[in-house]
Amino acid sequence: MNRVVIITGTRKGIGKFLAEYFLSEGDIVYGCSRRETDLTNDNYHHTRLDVSDEVAVTSFVRNIYKEQRRIDILINNAGIASMNHFLLTPYATAQRVFNTNFMGTFLMCREVAKFMVKAGNGRIVNYSTVAVALNLQGELIYSSSKAAIEQLTRVLAGEIGTYGITVNAVAPTPIDTDLIKNVPSDKIEALLSRQSIKRLGKFEDVLNVIQFFIQPESDYITGQVVYLGGVIQ
Amino acid sequence: MDTKKIEEIVYSVIRDYCKNNNIETEISKDTPLIGSNRIMTSLGLVNVIVDIETAFLDEGTEITLTSESAMSGRISPFRSVGSLCYFIGHQLGIEQ
Repeated sequence: MNRVVIITGTRKGIGKFLAEYFLSEGDIVYGCSRRETDLTNDNYHHTRLDVSDEVAVTSFVRNIYKEQRRIDILINNAGIASMNHFLLTPYATAQRVFNTNFMGTFLMCREVAKFMVKAGNGRIVNYSTVAVALNLQGELIYSSSKAAIEQLTRVLAGEIGTYGITVNAVAPTPIDTDLIKNVPSDKIEALLSRQSIKRLGKFEDVLNVIQFFIQPESDYITGQVVYLGGVIQ
Repeated sequence: MDTKKIEEIVYSVIRDYCKNNNIETEISKDTPLIGSNRIMTSLGLVNVIVDIETAFLDEGTEITLTSESAMSGRISPFRSVGSLCYFIGHQLGIEQ
């Protein structure tokens, strides 16, 4: 049976790659982003929304349930980064990063989990970053928002685990996307040198972990954070 | 949507929940949903809340029972079936 998959941030990058993957598998994908997408497929449904907008997220998720009567997988891919020295970080930037990364994940999880609880099963995959484990300087707000997502992942796993829902997180290394386009190359090199496997990540590396989390056999895996590249916390 | 329809949906969802969970009780406006005499567990209440929100959605009406006013109000709208119906009516602008 085709799975009903929600992926946030599908306009470009990893989100778009994941949407195309699930569509190629014959799944029904509901994507969202703040701007329009060029992704076209009969099984792809796009909504323009800000993931930190409670009313928009609630309506988005409810309408998917109304159409499909189930939601099998949620992938909280949408995220923004801000690389600043702590002393030069504007308050508005800190709020914006937390709103999109943490509040967006919180809202999507809350609304989708309601229907997964009803169904007695579901898979939720959140995103952290190796910047949490490495305590990267210059990424205080970004990594803090992701550390909050890790905590959300662990606590939520415990709160809804008895309903057959798993909640896990993948923590990618730097990948060649817009997220790191403004990071100086020497900073990227310094980061890679702290990984066990010293290369940039690929979209396929993220997909591999997500496939593991969502496969039926992984119903005993929850509350876990998997760091890519051999980064050890 | 009117008061009668709200009561119809809420009572129907709660009766279904009780039936599916072998809870034998007569549902009235005074039936408590929280507190020491509640008829369901707190997790059961979560299920009922989701079912009520979904039932209203099926009728083309969006309500949110997890709003701040519902969760942090001095007097909880979940104290009884009647107070929950009133809260929903208030949210829809039917009750004052």
